[in-house]
Amino acid sequence: MIDSLLLHRVQFAFTASFHYLFPQLTMGLALLIFILKCIGLRGNPWADAAARFWLKIFGLTFLMGVVTGIPLEFQFGTNWAQLVKSTGSILGQTLAMEGIFAFFLESTFLYLLIFGEKKLGKRLHCLVSFLLFAGTWLSGYFIICTNAFLQHPVGYRIGEDGIYQLTSIWALLSNPWAIKQYLHTMTGAVITGCFTMASIAAFHLLKQQHQDISRRYLSVAVLVGFPASMIAAMPTGDWEAKQVQQHQPVKFAAMEGHFHTEDGAGLVILGQPNLQEMKIDNPIIIPKALSFLTHASWNARVKGLTEYDRDLWPDNIELLYFSYHIMAGLGTLFIALMGISLVLVLKRKLHTSRFILWLLMLSLPFPFIANTAGWFTTEIGRQPWLIYNLMKTADGASNNISQGNVMFTLLGFMGLYLLLSVLYFFLVTRIIGKGPELINQPETETEGVA
Amino acid sequence: METVWLILLVLMIATYIVLDGFDLGVGVLHLLIARDRSEQKQIIQSIAPVWDGNEVWLIAAGGTMMMAFPGFLSSMFSGFYLPLTMVVWLLIFRAISIELPHYLSDSLWIHFWNLMLFVASGLLIIILGAAMANIYRGVPLDATGSFFEPLWTNFRIGPPTGILDWYTILSGVTSATFLLHHGALWLVAKTDGRVQQHARQAATWLWTGSIGLTLVIFIASWYVQPLARTSFSETPWKIILPLAAVLSLLASGYLRWKNKNMPAFLSSGLFIYLVIFSGAMAIYPNILPGLNPEHHLTIYNTSPGPEKLTTTLYWWIPGILLVGVYFTILFRSLPAVISASSEDDH
Repeated sequence: MIDSLLLHRVQFAFTASFHYLFPQLTMGLALLIFILKCIGLRGNPWADAAARFWLKIFGLTFLMGVVTGIPLEFQFGTNWAQLVKSTGSILGQTLAMEGIFAFFLESTFLYLLIFGEKKLGKRLHCLVSFLLFAGTWLSGYFIICTNAFLQHPVGYRIGEDGIYQLTSIWALLSNPWAIKQYLHTMTGAVITGCFTMASIAAFHLLKQQHQDISRRYLSVAVLVGFPASMIAAMPTGDWEAKQVQQHQPVKFAAMEGHFHTEDGAGLVILGQPNLQEMKIDNPIIIPKALSFLTHASWNARVKGLTEYDRDLWPDNIELLYFSYHIMAGLGTLFIALMGISLVLVLKRKLHTSRFILWLLMLSLPFPFIANTAGWFTTEIGRQPWLIYNLMKTADGASNNISQGNVMFTLLGFMGLYLLLSVLYFFLVTRIIGKGPELINQPETETEGVA
Repeated sequence: METVWLILLVLMIATYIVLDGFDLGVGVLHLLIARDRSEQKQIIQSIAPVWDGNEVWLIAAGGTMMMAFPGFLSSMFSGFYLPLTMVVWLLIFRAISIELPHYLSDSLWIHFWNLMLFVASGLLIIILGAAMANIYRGVPLDATGSFFEPLWTNFRIGPPTGILDWYTILSGVTSATFLLHHGALWLVAKTDGRVQQHARQAATWLWTGSIGLTLVIFIASWYVQPLARTSFSETPWKIILPLAAVLSLLASGYLRWKNKNMPAFLSSGLFIYLVIFSGAMAIYPNILPGLNPEHHLTIYNTSPGPEKLTTTLYWWIPGILLVGVYFTILFRSLPAVISASSEDDH
């Protein structure tokens, strides 16, 4: 028998992970499309053509993000009723703000961006692409703030009845945890956008189609993608790791696979965590590096997992460890691949370097995996807490719903999302197959929005 | 302060129903009215640019509800677990059936999605009506303020209660009639040619049905919820709301007859606002009545306290004004009339 808490968790994890495949791409592409529109403003028709092509993919991906995002908002109430009952007045602030400040902005300007190129003229169209970019990134901030309250609660007071009261909306919105996590998450989204763009460009170049446009926007993707890959590691990844180490030491020890307190602790690069014997099997370890990375001193003491009460350990340390190592490993790969590509772009050789184009084309899934693994690290690592150090996950779930009902909806979501995946892949491959087209300059009518 | 937020919340929910209501109504009507592909396209084009923005009102209302009345949201959402999850699934189908047909010109593909749009919109309208009726009728709340309702029991108003009983089904049918009427008036105002003519005919029938069902649902609601009887007999001036609702429904028929199409549509919107406010007013200050009167959820025992709610207004009011600006831009960017021949941009 499966207990219903597990089903609630699996359902939220499944629907949230599936959902985030889409926004990470749209948030990244929103920035890149805005950049392409700006290049287009300076009289580069290829950039307008590339923007038009990527807007088609953006539109479909955005739709998927919208339809899979709504279930998450509902699930707070349906599956996590106890959490909402006690903290709704706080979490509701940022969720309501997301709706009012971000979603309305996005839904208004997406339509104008997709259908308004002829009508709006170049400048307004570029401005609209900026507003959409702002909308998607704003939405991301409100969601990160909501998550940051669970990771590192601030600006609250607990009443006698156990109900959380908000004491400062500014504290909630300027939660230091949120700011660092936001920067790290958004660079992750930009990486997804850049690699997706680079991968499709590489595909067209290798197929020797649409070469002129693909070659140029490939450079844009690499020029943005390299700094993004760097920033994801240093400083934002480093900040994230340090704040986890400082505020959530159990999560930190578990994700690093650091079992025993040591002076001059080594950094585990590879190996499988063995919880029976409390060690890493088949280890490859850089000596003293963990101490250096966390305390800027080669011999500093780093507390290990065994230091903490076993009840406070995350319940799936293996998955947590691998999620973190997959994210960090792929992040290193991104820097290397984008670095080589950047050198070739600067030498104007990338579009003819078939080997690197192959690598770029095949790298498409990896940023999605890295971003998902990053969220797995954050969320599995927070267990057993729902709100860190304040509320256990078990106390937040709805307690009035039978397992059969949760199983029913979980299976329903799985079936529905399978259908969505099939439809998305089917349609997106058709868009990619057609490729970007240089159409005649759209006549820029002088009239504004009629 | 709780009352202010209740009014704002009901306003947001009603705005959602008025706005998405015409999308949903049109989603059902398009299959009944359109004769060929170009007419279907004409009809769907009248809602394609706006459905997403309209649906955001649901999300914004949900966030506002969580913030202002967390106890209400947690109790209601977990208690109505099954129907709300199904609402989510239907919203997904509704959205993709508006957007995906563009991507392929195959007739089987388009036909399938149009059918899905019809089914999803229709079911959503009925569930919305039934959900409203469930909140109004009351649910088996326990002392901790939680409950769980199965989809149906014996179709009586209980106990044991189910989501579907004769009253909530009646309300579902009523809301279908109201929103189809509302959708038909949108088409009358925004299209021309044969589609407009047929929408006008449909609106006439639906208007007649709406008048009948308004009377039926008002009488049934009086009978179903004792709180309403006390509420209206203690403060008789509240009767203004349902009366005004009936008047605006009559007005929308009159305006349509006079060919004032946009005012007729707006008047039908006002009618829906007033119906929802009448229901909320009838159970005020309760927000979710229990079958046991000791366990009613009220705007006081579900909200985090007045002082917090005041500070929230500082960002909420500018936010909603901004939304007003977006909607003005969006609705003004729509063509005044959508014709069957008008070219699709993509």
